[in-house]
Amino acid sequence: MAVASPSSDLFDEIVMAEERFHGEGYQEGYAEGSHVGVVEGRRYGSLHGAKIGSEIGCYLGFALTWQCLLQKCTDEKNSKKIRTLDSLIGMIQKFPYEDPTYDKLQEDLEKIRGKFKQVCSMLNIQSDFRIGTERSSLTF
Amino acid sequence: GLGRGLGRGRGLSPRVGTILLSPGPGWSCRAVLDEGHQRTVRRVAWSPCGSYLASASFDATTCIWKKQEDGFECVTTLEGHENEVKSVAWAPSGTLLATCSRDKSVWVWEVDEEEEYECVSVLNSHTQDVKHVVWHPNQELLASASYDDTVKLYHEEEDDWVCCATLEGHESTVWSVAFDRSGERLASCSDDKTVRIWRQYKPGNDEGVVCSGTDPTWKCICNLSGYHTRTIYDVAWCHLTGALATACGDDAIRVFEESASSDPQQPTFSLAAHNSPDWAVTLHCSASVLRTSVEAEPSRKKRPRVSFSRHMSLMARAVFPVSFLE
Repeated sequence: MAVASPSSDLFDEIVMAEERFHGEGYQEGYAEGSHVGVVEGRRYGSLHGAKIGSEIGCYLGFALTWQCLLQKCTDEKNSKKIRTLDSLIGMIQKFPYEDPTYDKLQEDLEKIRGKFKQVCSMLNIQSDFRIGTERSSLTF
Repeated sequence: GLGRGLGRGRGLSPRVGTILLSPGPGWSCRAVLDEGHQRTVRRVAWSPCGSYLASASFDATTCIWKKQEDGFECVTTLEGHENEVKSVAWAPSGTLLATCSRDKSVWVWEVDEEEEYECVSVLNSHTQDVKHVVWHPNQELLASASYDDTVKLYHEEEDDWVCCATLEGHESTVWSVAFDRSGERLASCSDDKTVRIWRQYKPGNDEGVVCSGTDPTWKCICNLSGYHTRTIYDVAWCHLTGALATACGDDAIRVFEESASSDPQQPTFSLAAHNSPDWAVTLHCSASVLRTSVEAEPSRKKRPRVSFSRHMSLMARAVFPVSFLE
């Protein structure tokens, strides 16, 4: 408590108390909100990242398997399929997994999805891997 | 939709999933193709050679029909789109086909001498439903119009198709696009009731338009606004006379002509006019809903003949599409 200050300061403290508590409450709330936001953001980010990883991983496994299967067939028809498979594998391997701030992230993802669809069309496979109508399709 | 062939036949696609060939005055129905699709057939397109008909359907497939002596045979069904296929178009070379869909993608297909179709690219550039695809008249360049308010252009680069330009400017869905005869200009029509004309500027151009890399830039050089009172669903550019025709939700077809003194960098178009007071420039469709196509011929012989058909759906009063008979 200020001893040497005049009585007007005392009144100031009382009169401005509500505003001060308001401000302090806001600061506390903001800090807590930011903290909760970061936690939630991290959780969302890792879930979303895992989803993308799962999707791309699926495409890669699929492409590598077919690359293996078609290695034996070297006729003209298959060379186009093999070239497209190689292109898909190349795109996936070039994708910068450790950089979430990569500016072309969405664009490259869409290119990978498009290339995967093209490969499925060439191999005559349903891109959602649906086998019959009873089974559910694969989604990410 | 109305597909133009080499004057031999016209394909029409009502919503019942069947394809009829040429009803109308002086025409007789030659074939009914009702085994191909399970839902609305949204568009049909004849191949440049006239022997094949492609039909795009809401059942997510595109059928290719081959003309035989006794009818048409479905030679293949192109699958892959996740939902409604909105448009199909053949490239002038006859070896490429493009389809677009509500699944936001544009697919490019290639056909070989053995009539085998293969998907050469799946383009996911648009962020919304793609309404229409159209090929350039003499280059392997593809244009697409979308609900995302843009027109995108694609070409082949190093064995893969890429989006090489995005035309922004429209304030709502772009329903259709049309190239002029030379392919230097493109017209787009939109839900925003305007028609925009775009011009291609190649790198190193005289007008000083900046280009990035080796790709040309497309700039909007004309905006036709104030003429239409509703959504413009289709636009056609006459390759003989250079006239532009639009199909609009206000029941009218409008024909525009470029002014003779027009600056190529800033052209002006005006509604085709004639000195005679009784020549109507805005053609109102007076055919009944049962007739699926009507030909309108203005009184002056030199004017281009325009044909249009009523869109057979809940938007029944709109005029969609429009094309020039050449």
